[in-house]
Amino acid sequence: MKLIGTCKISKNGAFLNGKEVELFSSDTENWKKECYTNLNLDYSKFHKMDSLAKMAFLSTEIIKKEVDLSKYDENELTLLFANNSSSLTTDLKFINSYEVKGSPSPSLFVYTLPNILTGELAIRNKWYGENCFFIEEKFDVEFFLEQINFYFSKGSNACLCGWVESNKKNEECFLFLIEKNGKENIKEQLTTLYKQ
Amino acid sequence: MEIFITGYGLISSIGIGADETILSLRNEKSGITKGSNDFSSKYLVGEIKFSDNELKERFGIMQNCSRTALLGMIAAKQAFEGHSISEEIKTGLISSTSVGGMDVSEKEFRKYLQDGKQDLSQYKHHSSGVSSEQIAKELGIKGFVNTISTACSSAANALMMGARMIQSGMLDRVVVGGTDALTSFTINGFKSLMIFDEDWCKPFDNSRKGLNLGEGAGFVVLESEKSMQLSKQKAVANLSGWSNASDAFHQTASSPDGQGAQLSMTEALKVAGLTPDDIDYINAHGTATPNNDLSESQAIKSIFKENIPPFSSTKALQVILWLHRVELKLFFRFLQLTMDICIRI
Amino acid sequence: MSDLKQTLKEQIIEQLNLEDITPADIQDDTPLFGEALGLDSIDALEFIVLLEQNYGIKIADPSEGREIFQSVNSLAAYIEKNK
Repeated sequence: MKLIGTCKISKNGAFLNGKEVELFSSDTENWKKECYTNLNLDYSKFHKMDSLAKMAFLSTEIIKKEVDLSKYDENELTLLFANNSSSLTTDLKFINSYEVKGSPSPSLFVYTLPNILTGELAIRNKWYGENCFFIEEKFDVEFFLEQINFYFSKGSNACLCGWVESNKKNEECFLFLIEKNGKENIKEQLTTLYKQ
Repeated sequence: MEIFITGYGLISSIGIGADETILSLRNEKSGITKGSNDFSSKYLVGEIKFSDNELKERFGIMQNCSRTALLGMIAAKQAFEGHSISEEIKTGLISSTSVGGMDVSEKEFRKYLQDGKQDLSQYKHHSSGVSSEQIAKELGIKGFVNTISTACSSAANALMMGARMIQSGMLDRVVVGGTDALTSFTINGFKSLMIFDEDWCKPFDNSRKGLNLGEGAGFVVLESEKSMQLSKQKAVANLSGWSNASDAFHQTASSPDGQGAQLSMTEALKVAGLTPDDIDYINAHGTATPNNDLSESQAIKSIFKENIPPFSSTKALQVILWLHRVELKLFFRFLQLTMDICIRI
Repeated sequence: MSDLKQTLKEQIIEQLNLEDITPADIQDDTPLFGEALGLDSIDALEFIVLLEQNYGIKIADPSEGREIFQSVNSLAAYIEKNK
């Protein structure tokens, strides 16, 4: 397998293939919106997404600056994502909507599953392939590699993977794109780039 | 490699076990009635009319668990009957659930709102994975245990994952299925989407308005041929095809032409080595929402053209909202199972 | 009426959890559904909740909402007529 590209974003900055891209300042309150604005995107659905989907969306758009993701056939690309806190941030907002505000909010209910973010990417990019979202203790390269190998053995040619976390303490997304053909030691590369 | 089904179990508002369920279906006996809990009493729901304690006593279950885990244990134990744990058979459990132990959390949280006191240890049941761990413990399964939570498609995804793990040699035998208890969270969620029918739901009917909600669990045992020789169990059916595709349309709505469903049915037939003509019956998702039934009908039309086999949704009788697909095909003893799976709630 | 429109814009942002949008981003005649705000059928439900909670107006059938929710102008006119 071959590592095609990575993107790491958090409040601390956006890093494309390990190099910082100036898309927002780290002292800004709403860094995701600033990032969206500076990417010159016109996709109004972005504003309705929860923070998980926003981060996955932005990272994908940043990777697209260097890699042509449209080259893959409509169901050639597999989406593999994971995190630890599931959709907790949105779950709490949804509970607040009916316990405190008095009426369950449909637009929040929609995001009470973390894998909605893979759906958002599929809708944006018209990807019809398989997608999976895992709940894991922590970012685990070996786990991802095992899954990627599995999907490659089932006919997929590329995997867009991501660790996307949103909880009270932490918001981050680490996205990486891997293609089937090639022999590289990806494990070390990914471990280093994630820690960035 | 062939995947065999060698055990099955279920519990829902129309029966405990296959015999009771088939009898109810044949007699068109509905399990949808006014709810008996504070949060469900205003609505028509598919509740299982036994309390947790009654069920625990009847099935000899001692674990302190959520209703979701309890229903799962009952169905999984039925499915695993006759099987035993053996070192020679790599056995796993893939259970699926949408709300996990939400029923326990809701009870505890309501208590807290009323008198300001709560037992935080009760929230350990909240995580979906806990229900799977407890079901595995009940069956004595110590190997691979996993939980899938993808709303309506959860149990179908569990079957698919189980079959693939057997094919790739990671497991020889795997208990797969799903379980969910009725909760206030679920009712409020679907009400907020305004696809909740306060009357009996009417799948594929012109006047359909939305779904009813219910609770239940369904599990099957999947085995490889090698495993069957060791377990000495007989196959009741084969799981021959499956597929999972994205509709790439909307978070909750299906596309008008059902493109995701078309893709997955086409691929499932391919995996099974079948053509549309081989299919004798389709157990539809048929949620009775205007959007789903239209999208699903379009997808079925595009695959089966002029020769659409009989299809139906049992939602009008039995609302195991999240899990329905799995068990029914088995009970009608169709030799070939195909599933279409796509992302939807 | 203009006070009502301003209030409506704030309520829309709050109800729909549009954290990135400010009232100034929404013109009185901006089409609420479609490209400009990217709203869809789920958000139409939020409008129904908004009308019921803030103005006591009930809409039982979501399809009735289509004309009412076209813009802030049409929403305000409907509220004036029905309150």
